[in-house]
Amino acid sequence: MNYRTDRIILIIFLLISTAVAFLPYFVQSEYLLRLITVVIFWIGIAGCWNMMSGYTGYIDFGPVVYFGIGSYVAAIAMTKYMVPFFPSLFLSGLISAVIAFFIGIPTLRLKGAYFAIATFAFAEAMKQISLEFDRTFKVSFFQGSDGITLPISGHDNSFFFYCILPVTFVVMLTHYFIEHSKFGYGLKAINEAETAAEISGVNTTANKLRAYATSAFFLGLYGAIEAYWITYITPSDVFNVQKTVQMVIMTLLGGMGTFLGPIVGATFLTLISESLGTRFVEYYLIMIGGIIIVTILILPSGIIGTLKIRKRLRFI
Amino acid sequence: MTGLECKEISMKFGALAAVQMVSFSLNPGEILGMIGPNGAGKTTLFNCIIGIHKPTFGKIYLNEINITGMKPHKICRMGLAKTSQIMEPFQAMTVFENVLVGALHGGGMKMGPAKKKTEKVIELVGLAEYAYKLSGSISVPARRRLELARALATGANILLLDENMAGLNPHEIDEALEILRKIRNSGKSLIVVEHIMRVVMGISDRIIVLNYGAKIAEGFPEEVVNDEAVIKAYLGEKLSSLKVA
Repeated sequence: MNYRTDRIILIIFLLISTAVAFLPYFVQSEYLLRLITVVIFWIGIAGCWNMMSGYTGYIDFGPVVYFGIGSYVAAIAMTKYMVPFFPSLFLSGLISAVIAFFIGIPTLRLKGAYFAIATFAFAEAMKQISLEFDRTFKVSFFQGSDGITLPISGHDNSFFFYCILPVTFVVMLTHYFIEHSKFGYGLKAINEAETAAEISGVNTTANKLRAYATSAFFLGLYGAIEAYWITYITPSDVFNVQKTVQMVIMTLLGGMGTFLGPIVGATFLTLISESLGTRFVEYYLIMIGGIIIVTILILPSGIIGTLKIRKRLRFI
Repeated sequence: MTGLECKEISMKFGALAAVQMVSFSLNPGEILGMIGPNGAGKTTLFNCIIGIHKPTFGKIYLNEINITGMKPHKICRMGLAKTSQIMEPFQAMTVFENVLVGALHGGGMKMGPAKKKTEKVIELVGLAEYAYKLSGSISVPARRRLELARALATGANILLLDENMAGLNPHEIDEALEILRKIRNSGKSLIVVEHIMRVVMGISDRIIVLNYGAKIAEGFPEEVVNDEAVIKAYLGEKLSSLKVA
């Protein structure tokens, strides 16, 4: 409704981000710092999914593929070509985006469930390719199910905190940009009525591709950072469909196509599974399942999404 | 500058020929009425012109440029916009934002000028009081105007209106006609598909009549309503006798 709330939310977001940036200087516990890093990591990843699927309504069920590609590009660049971390990181994002562009051209013509199936299939296919490529062609490139061990970084948790925080920050700023730009109005129009968007002059294909490739670029970055953080990757790990499910659920819990949705959803789910997981080791997954079901029943458009509708807010 | 020119357009869906060899032209500043019974191919013809369907045969020229088979958004940016019979507002957006999409993308404007243009267009079609309401929550007459506003905001010189007045009461129709005249006076040309004869007769400079996908008549309004074929296919005996009387 009014544009002033947008500014206020942006300012609050900037202030909190700045405050968070100083956390490693105050937080003594390594566990806590790692937990915060994981939360920020998932906010960013859920945000990547939201950027594409939340705004356009095209349910991508294989975003993990760009995460995995990012991991492998970084791992191969660092181990086989001795490229330092930061250039490999950039390369990961770039290659993910380029692949997304070419995959997007055929898949983004599909609608609804078919798009979801196609993207899911592509993710599974990439997993199989990285598993079987070496054996089939008698080379040592992806190293199949043995996985790749990256050079041990020797960096502490705060290094990775400072790798992840800026990326998540940029992902969220991109959300703000999407909400207030020509590009974003195009995406939202596609979500509402694609044909009407097209005849109103929206280049639907180009806009969808742009969103898809942008989302893939950031996912590639996260994949590379995680690979370097964990230092060991295998295809079944980095292309794990569970990652996809997690980013989808986080965004749905928070609210699709909202600015705060990924932040709230990812924080909520990560913290709940962490606190329940330590206390009820055996049953916590059942409990989380219950919580997700109840949340969606009470708040069908997600926590922020429902709030946005009830309060008739334009942007949060 | 010849405006829009359609040459022998045919559109087939499998064995069904929805549009057969229809040719016509639209001059700048003209209002062309298009009538015909349900299923005559009016909407299909529009969809061919606008680029949603690629015609099976025939060519469409806009200002002497061949636009056949171009993507709808490109055709829109070249100055040809359509309002749909089945209204498709972007429901989760406000009326203002709906129109803004047209100005931003169809008009290729930057945010600042696009907002100014949007305000003007909303004022012109008389939607100012609804501007900040969600487009899913407004009444049918208002949605019809919203469709018109979104098309206008693209800055198109030629507007195709597909039953833009269906479901309006006589008073609302008068208002809508007034808006169309204003639009025409601002130098735009229109093709109006409508079943309400009062509208078509009152506003059209020329009329073409479709039946079973083919053009059966073309001419000035008075000529068309007295045409034997048109009376038989569409108007029925009663109306024409009324007109004569």
